[in-house]
Amino acid sequence: MGTAELLQFAIAGLKNGSIYALVALGFTIVYASTGVINFAQGEFVMLGGMLSWWSYSMFDVPLVVAGLMGVALTAVVGIVFELVAIRPRKDGNPLALIIITVGGSLLLSSLARHAFGPLEKSLPAFTPGPSFRVLGAAIDRQTLWIFALTAIAVVLLSLLYTRTRVGKAMRACSIDRSAARLVGVDPRSMVTLSFALAAALGALAGLATTPLTQTAFNIGPSFGIKGFAAAILGGLGNPFAAVIGGLTLGLLESMSIAFISSTFKDAISLLVLLLVLFVRPQGMFGRAVREKV
Amino acid sequence: MGKASWIMREGRLRLLLSVVLIFGLLMVPLSGCTTPEPEDEAEETVEEVKDPYVIGAVLSLTGSFAGLGEPEKNTIEMEVERINEAGGVNGHPIEVIYEDDATDPETAVAATARLIDKDNVLAIIGSSGTGATMGMRGEINRAGIPQVSLAGGTVITADFDPLVFQTPWSNALVIPYTIDYIKAQEITKIGLVTDTGGFGADGLAVWKDLAPGAGIEIVEEQTFNPGDTDMSGQLTRIRATDAQAVVMWSAGREAATVAQNMADLGMEIPLIGSHGNARVEFIQGAGEAAEGFRFAAGKVLIPETYGTDTESYQVAVDFIERYTERYGKAPDTFAGHAYDGLYLVVEAMKRLDEGFTSADLRDEIEKTSGFVGIGGVFTFSETNHNGLTADDLVFYEVKDGAWILAE
Repeated sequence: MGTAELLQFAIAGLKNGSIYALVALGFTIVYASTGVINFAQGEFVMLGGMLSWWSYSMFDVPLVVAGLMGVALTAVVGIVFELVAIRPRKDGNPLALIIITVGGSLLLSSLARHAFGPLEKSLPAFTPGPSFRVLGAAIDRQTLWIFALTAIAVVLLSLLYTRTRVGKAMRACSIDRSAARLVGVDPRSMVTLSFALAAALGALAGLATTPLTQTAFNIGPSFGIKGFAAAILGGLGNPFAAVIGGLTLGLLESMSIAFISSTFKDAISLLVLLLVLFVRPQGMFGRAVREKV
Repeated sequence: MGKASWIMREGRLRLLLSVVLIFGLLMVPLSGCTTPEPEDEAEETVEEVKDPYVIGAVLSLTGSFAGLGEPEKNTIEMEVERINEAGGVNGHPIEVIYEDDATDPETAVAATARLIDKDNVLAIIGSSGTGATMGMRGEINRAGIPQVSLAGGTVITADFDPLVFQTPWSNALVIPYTIDYIKAQEITKIGLVTDTGGFGADGLAVWKDLAPGAGIEIVEEQTFNPGDTDMSGQLTRIRATDAQAVVMWSAGREAATVAQNMADLGMEIPLIGSHGNARVEFIQGAGEAAEGFRFAAGKVLIPETYGTDTESYQVAVDFIERYTERYGKAPDTFAGHAYDGLYLVVEAMKRLDEGFTSADLRDEIEKTSGFVGIGGVFTFSETNHNGLTADDLVFYEVKDGAWILAE
């Protein structure tokens, strides 16, 4: 296999990996604030594409405005979901919350099915035009957008966590809820904020992929499982871990296609995920947790 | 730590497995919750109206084939209304009971059992997909009622069952036709890319069976899963060979991604698809990359191809006009399959005497000869329950965002 082809496989892997990373970030954020896996995360990806398409076709606005509307509306859905479904469960029992997110996932995809119909929807490319050539490999413009949006999201998220009061408050809540409350942070609004952020990141992934793959009401779970695998691989720890997890998973898949078989790519990447977890149950970058009584 | 550590104690492996399981469940959308159809409103005029003839329809209204199930249900609803307004079948109104199989074979089996045991249907139309259609076979055999499938898998009629009929052109019909077309273009080496769903897997098997004998070499064979977001890896493998064309067998929305990825990779060789891609959504999704895409399908996309002086043309134009007026868009080939499925059953009923049984109905459907439908002209026999021929197909090419006849 030549360099150009290898590079081509790497680009494909990084492209899928960036998408997985965006979804994984959403899992990480909600996990940090509530300690649960949010099964509705994939539905936020679906809603991002769907609501952008809806804004684009309903209001005749430029694509960039429609995209921002799609992401913002999905964030609103995330907030409403948290207020209506998560917050009333005051004891925060993780098992109950997980079941609630499963129900939310089914509800959101059914609602999208009825609101937008069963057919796939498409958006135009952000910047149409021929693909670029790098050392014999082709890299299309939408892929560059996906890379850029992922990078921007990660940088903004890191800044939020390290440089702003709100971000520090969110981190404080994930480290110790009651201690955070003692210093005047309202943990409940931090949970709401984390759902808004997770929804927006998922929506960004949906928006960025729709020009390439179209979107439909039922795409949520497949994005969800890939993003979840990426988050676990990285270690559910910090944004950096989620991104590395996503990129690793994407590369694993495309290298499986390159060297083994496209039929088994999902099986191979899940197998690697299991192997990693046998060796490092906390994921690649997760901290081992000791229970203190 | 408190609550957040709950998951840690349980162990991440166990968490991972349970999450994977739950996602697996989510992938199979909620099903079996079909809305009950309102009872026939004609019951007030008891004296004139005879008992309705009840037909079951198992369609994929949700799940990944929802885009097929919707036009199919639209068509059946519209045509049943039309049949009943015209007096039904020898005075009996037609009543269709719809079940959603959610693109899931097991749900289709349950729906079929319900239609048989609870609703006592005379025949079943469906399902939309090959997997669900094959799943229903056990129940169909138990009840001994005829099934008219709207799915295109070769296996449906190749794995012959006297009770099962099929309205779309099967892969066994379309693939030889496509091979002839490819050979006429002087292409002898192809790269094959198929999805791992029922339609793609069926197509892959038929291609591998027929291509070598026809002098076509499959130099690379790649698959992708429904829901995949990027196929440039698979296409890169094909690009590295001396394939003269990419042949894609897939009915899902991923087909548009394949076309886009090919354009992005700068692959100049033609992309040839199947009747599964005869959908406007494919052109919308692939955009510029759809230009030059070629596929074989029935004549309904351009009714003039029937020949403007034929009965087929009249039937198709009438159907297209009524459908477009009612639903605001032109019917696709899947709507046509449902039209054919319904009328094959209804026409057979019309030929039968009062008080016929499901077994009589099956025999009568098999006697169908020269029925002019949307998919083509159907003639069934004791050994052929597909009933169409290669004459019912034409080759299309996408040009300027629309279908034209390929030369």
